[in-house]
Amino acid sequence: MSPLALYQLVALVLLCAGLFGIVQRRSLVGMLIAVELMLNGAGLSIVAAGQLTKANAILGQLGTLLVMGLAAAEATLVLSIVVVVSRRFGTTRTSEVSTLKE
Amino acid sequence: MELMAKIAFAVYTLIILGGAVWAVTSQSLVRALVGLIATLLGVAGMYLLLNAPFMAFMQILIYVGAVCIIVFFAIMLTRAHADGEEAAPVPVRQYLWSLLAVLGPGAVLSWLILTRPAASMSTPVEVSLERLGQGLLEPYFLAFELISVVLLVAMSGAVLLAWERRGKK
Repeated sequence: MSPLALYQLVALVLLCAGLFGIVQRRSLVGMLIAVELMLNGAGLSIVAAGQLTKANAILGQLGTLLVMGLAAAEATLVLSIVVVVSRRFGTTRTSEVSTLKE
Repeated sequence: MELMAKIAFAVYTLIILGGAVWAVTSQSLVRALVGLIATLLGVAGMYLLLNAPFMAFMQILIYVGAVCIIVFFAIMLTRAHADGEEAAPVPVRQYLWSLLAVLGPGAVLSWLILTRPAASMSTPVEVSLERLGQGLLEPYFLAFELISVVLLVAMSGAVLLAWERRGKK
């Protein structure tokens, strides 16, 4: 198995763990943690692809830096959304917050 | 040297696996956050193995230093204490459905990785910090500026969303 495939498999494990978490968690903060896991898997995959193939390594590293910046922006927004939701509903449980279908 | 790299890869993989499983199954959100931090540190080690020390540094600085603090604030501000939302054990059926949801994309992607391997080198490329900075300021200048705009907009949006006027209850 090539080294790149090993790194990609680890990244895939991170993606799967994040996907599992986002389906299974019942609170918004738990889902946020799962999303961070998925984004990290994406970053690892991009850097591995840039460093271990003939592709542009600079582009790989800077692309991951961009993913990190987006993750930080996303976490900030999710924090404020969670604060607003918990102020309005008194809980962040997803089953009680989803009132649109009632 | 080769053996050392393999051992380090195995150790980091174990840290990542354990941390990820802990992060998604722990019943206390603070413990889930600790699992997330372990995973992030493991990924930083992977970056070191990939000969990208700058990325490892940024991983620790941005993810462990900033994003995890934000998640911790989210836990604190919503008062997700030990007997909070995640305390009750998950029903087995929900576990099975979640595993089923993961199985689809996981199987397709791992099949693709294993059957269509890209031509890969055994030693990672060396990229100096100087060339990274040059890349940031010359060919990818627009992306660099745009990400700062995105961060600014996200932060002001967050302040606006969570704003509470004084005196208004």
